[in-house]
Amino acid sequence: MSESSNSSNPWEGWLAGQQALIKSMFPSPLPQESADATSGDSLQTQFSELRDAWKESIEKWSDMAQRAGKAPAFSPESLQSLFAPERWAGAGVIDGALKRVLDGPKFATLFDQDRQLLELQRLATRRDQDVAAFQAVLAKGWTKAYERVATQSLKQPKPESWRAVADGWLSMVNDSLIELYRSDEFVEAQRKMLRSASDYRLQERKIAEAWCEVMHVPTRTEVDELQRSVVELRREVRRLRQAQDRKPATVTAKPAAKRTRTARA
Amino acid sequence: MATTRKSSAARAVTELSEFNLKMARGQEMLNRLKDEDVQIATADKDVVFRQDKVTLYRYRRSGAASIKAPVLVAYGQVGRYTMTDLQEDRSMLRNLLSLGVDVYAVDWGNPARGDRWLTFEDYVDGYLDECVRFICDAHKQKSINLLGICEGGVFSLCYAALHPERVKNLILTITPVDFHQDQAEGRVNHGLLNIWTRGLGDDDIDRLIEANGNLPGELMSYSFSQMTPGATLSKYNVGLFDTFDDEKKLLNFLRMEKWIADRPHHPGEAAKQLLINLYKNNELIKGKFQVGERTVRLSDVKAPVLNVFAKDDHIIPPKTTQALGKAVGTKDYTEIGLDGGHVGVFVSGKSQGVLPKGIVEWLRKRD
Repeated sequence: MSESSNSSNPWEGWLAGQQALIKSMFPSPLPQESADATSGDSLQTQFSELRDAWKESIEKWSDMAQRAGKAPAFSPESLQSLFAPERWAGAGVIDGALKRVLDGPKFATLFDQDRQLLELQRLATRRDQDVAAFQAVLAKGWTKAYERVATQSLKQPKPESWRAVADGWLSMVNDSLIELYRSDEFVEAQRKMLRSASDYRLQERKIAEAWCEVMHVPTRTEVDELQRSVVELRREVRRLRQAQDRKPATVTAKPAAKRTRTARA
Repeated sequence: MATTRKSSAARAVTELSEFNLKMARGQEMLNRLKDEDVQIATADKDVVFRQDKVTLYRYRRSGAASIKAPVLVAYGQVGRYTMTDLQEDRSMLRNLLSLGVDVYAVDWGNPARGDRWLTFEDYVDGYLDECVRFICDAHKQKSINLLGICEGGVFSLCYAALHPERVKNLILTITPVDFHQDQAEGRVNHGLLNIWTRGLGDDDIDRLIEANGNLPGELMSYSFSQMTPGATLSKYNVGLFDTFDDEKKLLNFLRMEKWIADRPHHPGEAAKQLLINLYKNNELIKGKFQVGERTVRLSDVKAPVLNVFAKDDHIIPPKTTQALGKAVGTKDYTEIGLDGGHVGVFVSGKSQGVLPKGIVEWLRKRD
C-alpha cells in the first residue's frame, strides 16, 4: 500500500489510486515512442499526448483536492455556527444568504430592483435583530431588578399594605433600570436599534422613489430639495431685509386693528 | 390609650374594601368627565401676529400694569408653551398677569416635513426677532423682557447675544448652557438624555433626521418616559389610582397628560444643531455655536440675567444651567433654585406663588 493511501485524507487515497491506474494502463517509457516519433501524428503519438494530458489533468485535480482537503469539514467554529440560536431562528441564515447575493457582481441595470428589495429585506432583518438585542439588554435590567426585589425584600421589614409593596417594588425597578440605562451596553444597543430603523426607512424610501419616478410622481427627495430652496430663499430675503434695517414684515398690520380673540374655555 | 392592632387578615380585607371603593369612585368620575372638561391654556389671549406656522399671543391683563416693558415667553420646540398655562390655578402666565405684567407668548406651531430645513437661525434671527420687533413697535419701546424656557431659553440666550439692543432683561428658566455638566452632581437619575445623545454618532443623527425629516415628537416622548422608568411604569395604574380621591386631582392628572401628548416634531436641521452642536459638541458654552453666519458668544449678553433652575431637574441638571453665571457678559446675574423637577417648577402647586413673584420682584428693580 502506498504512503498516501495510508493517510487519513481520503483525497490523497483517491489520488494514489488514480496514479496507480494510469501507470498500469500506460507503463512508461512506451516501447515504440522514440521509433515512431518521426511519423508525428501516429496513433502511438496521439495516445502518448492523451496520456500526458490526462496525467496533467489528474495532477491539477489532485492538487486542488489536496488544498480543499486541508479545510476541516467539521471544525468547532463551523459546528458552533451550525448550532447558533440565530441560525435556528433563521435570521442568520437569511441574512447570510442575502449578503452573498448582494455582495455578488453588480451590473448597471440588471436585477437592480431585485437587489434593492433584497437590501430592504436585509435591513429589515438587521433592524429586527437590533430590536431583539435591545430587548435582551432590557431583559438583563429586569432580571437585576427581580434579583434586587428578592434579596432586599427579605432584609426589609414586612410591608403593611399592598401599596407599600408596590412602592417598594417600583423603587427597586426604577433604580435597576436607571443603572442599566446609564450603561455603555444599553447606550450602544439603543444606538444600533435607532440606526438600523433609520437605514431601513431610507432604503424603503429609495424603492418608493424608484416607483415614483416610473409613475411621474415627485419623489420625497425632490420635494425635500424644493422645500430646502424655499427656506433658503426666505432666509436670503430676511438677511437682505435686515441688512437694509428693514421695517417689520408682518402679515397682520396693526396689532389693535387685527386682534382676534381666541376661543375661551 | 393604645389602639388595638388589627390582624393581617382584617387589615387586608379593609384595604381591599377601600381599594374597591376608590376604584368605583374613579370609574364614576372618568365616566362623567368629557374632553371639554380637560382644557389647557385657557387664559384669555389674542392672536396679534402670525408668520408661517408661528403665532404670537398677547394675554389680557385685567389689573393695572406694574412693569413697563412687556414680557415675551419663548418655549422650545421640545413640547409646547401651553405648559405655562396648564390650568387656572397652575399658570405662570396668569400669575404674571395678576402681578401687572404685559405677557406675550410665542407658539411655534406644528412643524411638518416641510419645516425640516428650519435652523436655529430661522427661529432666533427670524421668527423670534419678528415677534420681538412686533412687540417693541406695539409698545413703542426699544427693548423688551425675554423669558425663555428650556430650549426656548437657548433661543433667548442666542437672541440676547446677537440682538442685545432688543433685550432689556433676560429671564431663563430650566435652560441648558453647559451640556457636559450633566454628571457634575453625581446623581444617577440625572442627565440620561445627555448620556444617550453623546452615545450617538453624528451620522446616526443625520440618518435619523434624513429618514424622518424631523425629530419625531413620539421619539422625544419615548425618551422622556424612559428617563423615569418607575414613574412611567406606575403612571396609569398606581399614579392614576392615586387621583381617584377627588376630581380636582384627576383633572390635574388629565390636563398634564394632555400637555404631554401634544408634543410637536422638532424641525430636522434645528434638531441636528441641538443634538450635535449643543448636546454632543457643547458649542454654546465654548463660544463656538453658529447661528447662521454669526457665532454666539455668551459674553455678548449684556442685559441683566435671571437664571431659574429646578433643584431636582433630571432633564436639565442644575449644573448644566448654572454654568451660565461665569459665561455671560453682565455682572447683573441672579440665580434662583426652586424645589422640584423640570416641569414641576411651572405646574406644581407649591411653585405657583414662588416663580412669578420672584420674576416680577426681580423685574421691578430693573424696569
